[in-house]
Formats: sequence, C-alpha cells, structure tokens
Amino acid sequence: MTDSTPPVSDIDLFDDAVTVDPWPTYAALRELAPVVYLPANDTYVLTRYEGIRNALLDWETFSSVNAIGFNPMVNEALTGTSLASDPPVHTQLRATLTENLSPRALRGLKATIDTKADALVEQLVNKGSFEAMDALARALPLEVVADLIGFTGDARDNMLRWGQAAMQVIGPMNQRTAENFPIAGELYGWCSNVTAEDLQPGSVGRGIFDAEARGDIPPHTAGHIIHQYLGAGVDSTIASIGNIIALFAAHPDQLALVREDPSLVPAAFNEVLRYWPPLHVWGRRATKDVEVEGLRIPAEAHVGILFGAGNHDPRHYDDPEAFLVERNPVDHLAFGYGPHGCAGQGLARLEAHAVIDALARRVERLVVGPEVRIPTNITRSIEQLPVLEVVPA
Amino acid sequence: MRIVLDRERCEGHGLCEEAAPDLMHLDDDGELVLDREEVSDDDPAAAARANGAVRVCPVAALRIA
Repeated sequence: MTDSTPPVSDIDLFDDAVTVDPWPTYAALRELAPVVYLPANDTYVLTRYEGIRNALLDWETFSSVNAIGFNPMVNEALTGTSLASDPPVHTQLRATLTENLSPRALRGLKATIDTKADALVEQLVNKGSFEAMDALARALPLEVVADLIGFTGDARDNMLRWGQAAMQVIGPMNQRTAENFPIAGELYGWCSNVTAEDLQPGSVGRGIFDAEARGDIPPHTAGHIIHQYLGAGVDSTIASIGNIIALFAAHPDQLALVREDPSLVPAAFNEVLRYWPPLHVWGRRATKDVEVEGLRIPAEAHVGILFGAGNHDPRHYDDPEAFLVERNPVDHLAFGYGPHGCAGQGLARLEAHAVIDALARRVERLVVGPEVRIPTNITRSIEQLPVLEVVPA
Repeated sequence: MRIVLDRERCEGHGLCEEAAPDLMHLDDDGELVLDREEVSDDDPAAAARANGAVRVCPVAALRIA
C-alpha cells in the first residue's frame, strides 16, 4: 500500500528570517514533496507549480470561505467579501468589485498613468540619487489609487499604513498581526462611514456610490468595495514596483534588452512577478479529502498557496533562478489564477508597464546600495532601496 | 477543436487577444468576440494559438472543448 500521507516539516512560514528570505525554504519544501504539512502554521502547503495552478482553478475543492487568512479573526472579518466566498455568491460580488476595475473600465486611465510615471521618473533621473521605495514605488500607486477612489485629506495620508496593515493581519496571530489589527480596524471604520461627498466628484469611488444610489449594486456595498481596493491594491503594487526597480538595477543587461525592444515591457513585468511575487502565501480550505500528486489533504484542512515556490519550480520553468525578460512567463502564479485571480491586475499592469517603459526610455543603468527588508506576514516588499547613481539614457 | 468562452467570467483582460489575434478580439466596449470558434486540427499553428489563449487567461474564462 502506498503511503499517501504528506511529509511533515517543522518550518514556520512566518519566522522572521523566512519572511525576509523565503527562497531556501521554498526550494527545500518543493523538493521534499508537492504537499507538505507544517504543524507550526497548521497548514498543508502546496509547493509545486502544477498543484498550485490546479488548486487555484478548483474552487469547489479548495474553497476561499473562512480560508484566506492564517488567523480566525481575519477570516471572520473577511466573511462576505468576494475574496472569501465561492461561486455562485462570489460571481456577483466579483462582478460588482471589478465593474470599475476591469481593463475595459480602466482603458481611459492609461494616458494619465503613463504621464504620472514618466514625470516621476524624469524628476528622479535628474535628481541622480534617491530612496526608490518612497520616491517611486510608493509615490505612484498612492497617487493613482487616491485619484481613482477620489480620496482627499486624512484618508490619503493614511492609505499607506492602512494598506500595509490590511495585508499584515492576514498572517497568523503573531506580534505583527496583533500590532496591525487596530490599524486595519481604522481602515474598516473609515470605509464603513465614508459617504459620496467625502470623495472627489468624477472619481471611480464616487461612481461606486452613484451605482449604489441607483440600485445597481446592493445597499451598503460601496464602502466595502472601496475597502477592498485599498486593502488589496496598495501594498502589493508598491512591492511590485519596488521589485521592478531592484531587479533592473541588479540586471542591467535585462534593462538593455527592454531598451532595445520596448515591446518587451509586458514580458518584463511578467518576469518580475514570476521572479519575486509580491505575496508570500495565501490560504484555501479543503472541502473534502483530496489527493494532490498522490498526497492526501484531509477535508477541512487549511491549505497554503506558496506562489514563489511554484514560480521557481524547475518542473515548469527552465533555469528558474535566472531573471530573463524574454522568457515572458505569461502563466506565472503571482496574480493567482481562475475565479479569484487578482481583480486589480489590470490596474497593476497599467502602473507597472508605465514605470518599466519610463525607466527603459530614460535610464541606462541604476547603481543601488543594499536593499533593506523587514519581516512581514503576507506582502513581500523591499522597505528601502537607495539609488546612489543614475546613468541616464 | 472548439474554443468556449465563459462570458460571465471574462473581464476583458485581453491577454488572449495578444496570444491569438486571428481567433479573437476585444470590441470597442472591451467585450471579447470569438472570431473563430472552430479550429481545425489540420492547422496546428492556429491550434497552438488557441491553446495559448486558453493558457494565458488570468481568470480561466476560456477553455477548449
């Protein structure tokens, strides 16, 4: 009889050292088995590309209900959102959420975002040295999302800390989660009380309230939609833009390829997302006993999706540790896949493509100092990235 | 082979159009139009593009029947 019990590992996914540099852990788990049980996190992690992609598609077996986060409080708080529901309820919630966020809704924004990104990059190239996370990776998404939702005043100032906290609290009940719950609560409170008049006329946020007033979306949903835009869309985009800057600084030959052939911009972003996905881990729950590549996950067990482990699986990508913009890994796992695939990926692409395009036109090489990383639960982002010198194009 | 679109799931990301521009396109409203649903097995290049379009859809709104 074959033993279908997954191997057990004493790795803690949320150990400080693991969150700062998860790559050796991902490789060890991936080589151990496609499914590994981690008692420290009470979760069965999926470690290889095929198992992850199949699970993301199979929402009937790998449910999002009461499952996304690694502590019961956050799963309770997310109940009733599209993030934490399954079809058919999910289908309607998702449609409401994406109505103003889908690529077709965002087409009109491209020129504005391109102009903002180019102006920022131009200013930084002229400056010559700067802290790239604040000056570019945080500056652009905060401005884009603030304008999109129509934020003014206090809310705008709070977007960064609220967005970070909303991701941190998805982790287990460790110190980071405990410290961030009050901040995530501020965001929730603000979104529960915000009214149309608080948001700029003509903004998408104002449009969501107009839709609620018309009866196009259920009563009291506008605030929750804005909550999801902010909770999911700020921290992850900041991480991705920071990763673009760091990876092009580390691989000037790859920046040169994009400079020679600007049609590589989307491929380059796909490779950045494959190489360094902005999210560390995300949860699901098995609705029944299920076997993944011959290893059994019991019904009701929590399942952890390791995006980075799958994105570096040599069974799927040749030479996965090489950063190669021409690879164009269109099927990377960083945005998830299937019914819960990142709802904001269209906006993320607009922002990231604008940054890569501006860098490729204006920069030949970036000389950077050591990147600073701090432990975080879910978002994997550079904290500080000093650019010491810009060699302009 | 036949390309099948789950219209409720499609959000108009448009990555399929880049993979198979001769088989499908986004119209002026950003809605996906399948220009060719049937792809002959005798046309392996088109079949490969159809499979590529299915593969790249980020929300799994396309499949091959």
